[in-house]
Amino acid sequence: MKGFNLEIVTPDGLAFSGEAESLLVHTDDGDVEILAGHMDYMASVATGRARIITGGVSKFASCSGGFLTVLGGEVRLAAVTFEFADKIDVERAKKAKERAESKLTTATDEREIALAKARLERALTRIKVAGL
Amino acid sequence: MAGASMNDIKARIKSVESTMQITKAMELVATSKLRRAKEKAEGTRPFYEVLGRAIDDVLASEEVCASPWCEKRDTGRTLYIVIAGDRGLAGGYNANIFRLMDALDSGKDSAVIPVGKKALEYYRHRKRTVISDEYEYVSSLGVSAAMGIGKEVCRGFIAGEYDRVVAVYTKFVSMLTQTPVYEQLLPLEREASSGAPECDADPEEMLERIVPYYVGGVIYSAVTESLASEQGARRTAMNAANKNASEMIDTLMLRYNRARQAIITQEITEIVSGAEAL
Repeated sequence: MKGFNLEIVTPDGLAFSGEAESLLVHTDDGDVEILAGHMDYMASVATGRARIITGGVSKFASCSGGFLTVLGGEVRLAAVTFEFADKIDVERAKKAKERAESKLTTATDEREIALAKARLERALTRIKVAGL
Repeated sequence: MAGASMNDIKARIKSVESTMQITKAMELVATSKLRRAKEKAEGTRPFYEVLGRAIDDVLASEEVCASPWCEKRDTGRTLYIVIAGDRGLAGGYNANIFRLMDALDSGKDSAVIPVGKKALEYYRHRKRTVISDEYEYVSSLGVSAAMGIGKEVCRGFIAGEYDRVVAVYTKFVSMLTQTPVYEQLLPLEREASSGAPECDADPEEMLERIVPYYVGGVIYSAVTESLASEQGARRTAMNAANKNASEMIDTLMLRYNRARQAIITQEITEIVSGAEAL
């Protein structure tokens, strides 16, 4: 399969850089898979699982919030967090899930509820991806 | 008596020595932390650079020329995000940031989000309008907290609570130089690029989704720059403190030896003159 140049940047540094055959991310408008030769495109990325196929091997990752651009065959994904399945700390995610759940039952402030919901979503994604 | 002053000098040497031990340890810690902090600061930049370019692309679509994100509103309040350290003993690190901020704004029509314990204390003490005291510890401020600030700031800007958002932080220029700087986050001062790529959502909605990430990314990068700067400033300050301390020990040693010599000379004189009297 034909490949393209993929770069994934996060605020904590470069998460991936190199050739890939496919990038699948969950955007705000639905799942999108980028293959080689894709037209110039951009989309905002939501919290969810992502998949990269590189060298015929698919790798899953949890990705939260960010932005995807395809420009002249170069694919860039800027994500707030991007963790490959084998790097995910499941224990931490489970704890974060419990904390967010208990917060949801007690919180009254609208902002707090939104924050807890986002945390819960991220934790659930991590747990799910780690099991893939 | 000369003996008393000798003991005084000895006690001072001891106290300077123990201070030096502390400053030496602090320098070592700062040096090792500095390396890590520097790498982190450099790793953060690509994230918001990619987002910044994406924003330029979105701005290129004609419909968003009059986007509220770029709208300059001259009157009204400015929100400052001031990033300082959690601790002192870093030379002029904290003071320089506050001095820059004071030169920027007299505090009449502005509000502050202090990041870092020193910043929070400073602006509380000065009774400035402090929007949030959630970010007391800059050293443990993670990506999600920075994104939280970004989101909140964007909400406030669009709601018209403030008309300008400015980040005040210390730029890490080199190991020896750190410069306090300010950077306007909103309204966006970006230039539209030449062609807009295809996207599923409409451009205005796109901006609404990515600008908070961009602002959060810039804030996080400002935080990492500041952390590296703090360690750099502390290392320089502790290095100077070590030099001063060893100089002080040298002069005290000299004085101690002179005092000892003076006592011996005096004793000899007394014995000689005593012998002569016999």
